[in-house]
Amino acid sequence: MLKIIVCFKWVIDEADIKVSGKSRELDLSRVAYKISDYDRNAIEEAVRLQEQLGGSVVAVTVGPPTAKQSLKDALSRGPEKAVFVSDPAFDSLEPAQTAAILAEVITKNLEYDLIICGEGSSDLYAQQVGPRLAEKLGIPCATYVEKIIIKDKELIAERKMRDGIEVVSMPLPALVTVMPTINTPRIPSLKQVLGAAKKPVVNLSAKDLEGKYEPCLKTTSLLAATMERKRIKFTDDPQDIRKVVDALLKEGVIS
Amino acid sequence: MPGVWVIAENSNYTLELLSKGLEIANELNEKLVAFSFGNEELANDYISCGADEVFVLPALNRELPFEAYVPLIVAEAKKEMPEAIIVCATQRGTELASRVAAGLNTGLATGCISVRVDKGNLVMERLVFGGAAVQTVICTTRPQMAAIPPGTYEKAQPREDRRGQIKVVAGNVETKVKVVERRKKEQEEIDLTEAKIIVSVGRGFEKQEDISLARELARLLGGEVGCTRPIAEELHWLPEERYMGISGKKVKPDLYIGLGVSGQVQHVTGIRDAKIIMAVNTDENAPIFDAADYGIVGNLYDVVPKLMTEIKAALNK
Ligand SMILES: Cc1cc2nc3c(=O)[nH]c(=O)nc-3n(C[C@H](O)[C@H](O)[C@H](O)COP(=O)(O)OP(=O)(O)OC[C@H]3O[C@@H](n4cnc5c(N)ncnc54)[C@H](O)[C@@H]3O)c2cc1C
Ligand SMILES: Nc1ncnc2c1ncn2[C@@H]1O[C@H](COP(=O)(O)O)[C@@H](O)[C@H]1O
Repeated sequence: MLKIIVCFKWVIDEADIKVSGKSRELDLSRVAYKISDYDRNAIEEAVRLQEQLGGSVVAVTVGPPTAKQSLKDALSRGPEKAVFVSDPAFDSLEPAQTAAILAEVITKNLEYDLIICGEGSSDLYAQQVGPRLAEKLGIPCATYVEKIIIKDKELIAERKMRDGIEVVSMPLPALVTVMPTINTPRIPSLKQVLGAAKKPVVNLSAKDLEGKYEPCLKTTSLLAATMERKRIKFTDDPQDIRKVVDALLKEGVIS
Repeated sequence: MPGVWVIAENSNYTLELLSKGLEIANELNEKLVAFSFGNEELANDYISCGADEVFVLPALNRELPFEAYVPLIVAEAKKEMPEAIIVCATQRGTELASRVAAGLNTGLATGCISVRVDKGNLVMERLVFGGAAVQTVICTTRPQMAAIPPGTYEKAQPREDRRGQIKVVAGNVETKVKVVERRKKEQEEIDLTEAKIIVSVGRGFEKQEDISLARELARLLGGEVGCTRPIAEELHWLPEERYMGISGKKVKPDLYIGLGVSGQVQHVTGIRDAKIIMAVNTDENAPIFDAADYGIVGNLYDVVPKLMTEIKAALNK
């Protein structure tokens, strides 16, 4: 029986970010939130392994109290229990803090054979929390994994590297970070969505943590990456298309 | 003197970091330390290219991954307490840097697009929200750590007059992670970052064969075919070297033509430095039109042939 922990993050949907005027400041007033894209693959992989091999899946997230909304979404995807570690100060954690908090929470509260994280979060894309967590827990890890096979107490993982595939093996317990290509996350059914509300959630707050977890990084500025473009739209009729070609000629980019 | 360390998985990437490392070490008034993995000869190259000291770590058995060096590097860092550690952010480098940072309880900025020194701090810029924003961070703990992608800097050049020390670091490289197989991939020869014109294939294409349409347009213009991440990674229609974006190639062509590309920020981040961006998309509200100079609202299967006819007429081809 395999005990799996999957770590997911509740993030701003970057497609909703607007820029306020010329100042390049981010306007986050109308943003929606979502489960970080690749964490949906992480949850899916945990649930698939459990379906194959038996065992349990616990989903863990660290965030501000507003991230409570994420729990139903996460649980509707298959895990049977969630652990929610929240504090108002947890809305801008950096990877060192997140990993350290996860390490304390997991060590004190959960048994595990396998921990699954995403390759990187959609907001910070630091690609740090997974490997940092493994290091804190003193367990082996494999990053950028595209395929997982478990035999007895051994994990075989195919890592997708830029220059090819590297297949590694390691004893459990272990941690993997998964690529989006590992699976296609299922869309929860209505029954699963309704069932999610009944699943148990363990709520923990900063007061339940022993560590202080000060940040190691300080953000000195956060500005929109803007781009000046002409934004001229044309239709698909031949005259319009000719205008586009003329414009490209005039810009000197085709010859 | 604690030093500025540069760590990369191969010698080319080490040389790239040495050129930046030299600048950082000068500004921080520190010595520059490079790492050589199982190769003492390289140590002399690194010294002539700017390193004041080279740590030579033991060679790896074939069944061990590069990341197996983490415990040795952590142990060495605890002894020497470097002021800064700069790592080449290949995938392996990013994992190694993250674990070393965890082992040292220090901060790390990954995927830096720029690094400079101000008042003793590395000021590191990185992209967040899929590339929609630039975050600037400094590290309040020591060593301060940055992971910078390969290809960001020119390789350092050797100089005759350089002198430095070589330190052989003894110790066992141990890890529970064993490599059981390596399947090398055929690397393509093209370098999209050098292309003047890129025709980019998005999921608006219905089948793999249809990419011939993009190829014809690219050939007509003397350009290359590129794509979005799902075309390469999910559909495997084109090699991964050809996808652009925050996790793919950052390109700077004179002209980028997106066909059936929605223009989500993760993709647009890779094409920000294009001189002109043109796009064809059926959806007039597709975000690519905000990122484009010239947008054609239409079906690519209809527009591309018409576009080629017009281009041929205009260029007398
Ligand atoms: C952490 C993270 C990192 C990522 N990194 C990258 C990256 O580096 N690079 C990257 O590309 N993506 C990346 N992505 C994915 C990115 O968010 C988008 O999903 C992806 O770029 C969309 O690809 P697409 O435009 O081909 O497909 P879609 O978004 O599906 O868009 C297809 C478009 O084609 C149009 N269309 C359909 N039919 C036609 C037709 N006949 N003619 C014309 N238009 C048509 C549609 O209107 C639509 O706009 C990343 C995502 C995450 C979460
Ligand atoms: N706040 C969080 N709570 C739980 N898991 C997280 C959190 N932040 C990051 N993770 C996990 O770590 C992975 C990598 O995140 P990052 O290092 O921010 O790119 C994510 O895909 C998640 O699996």
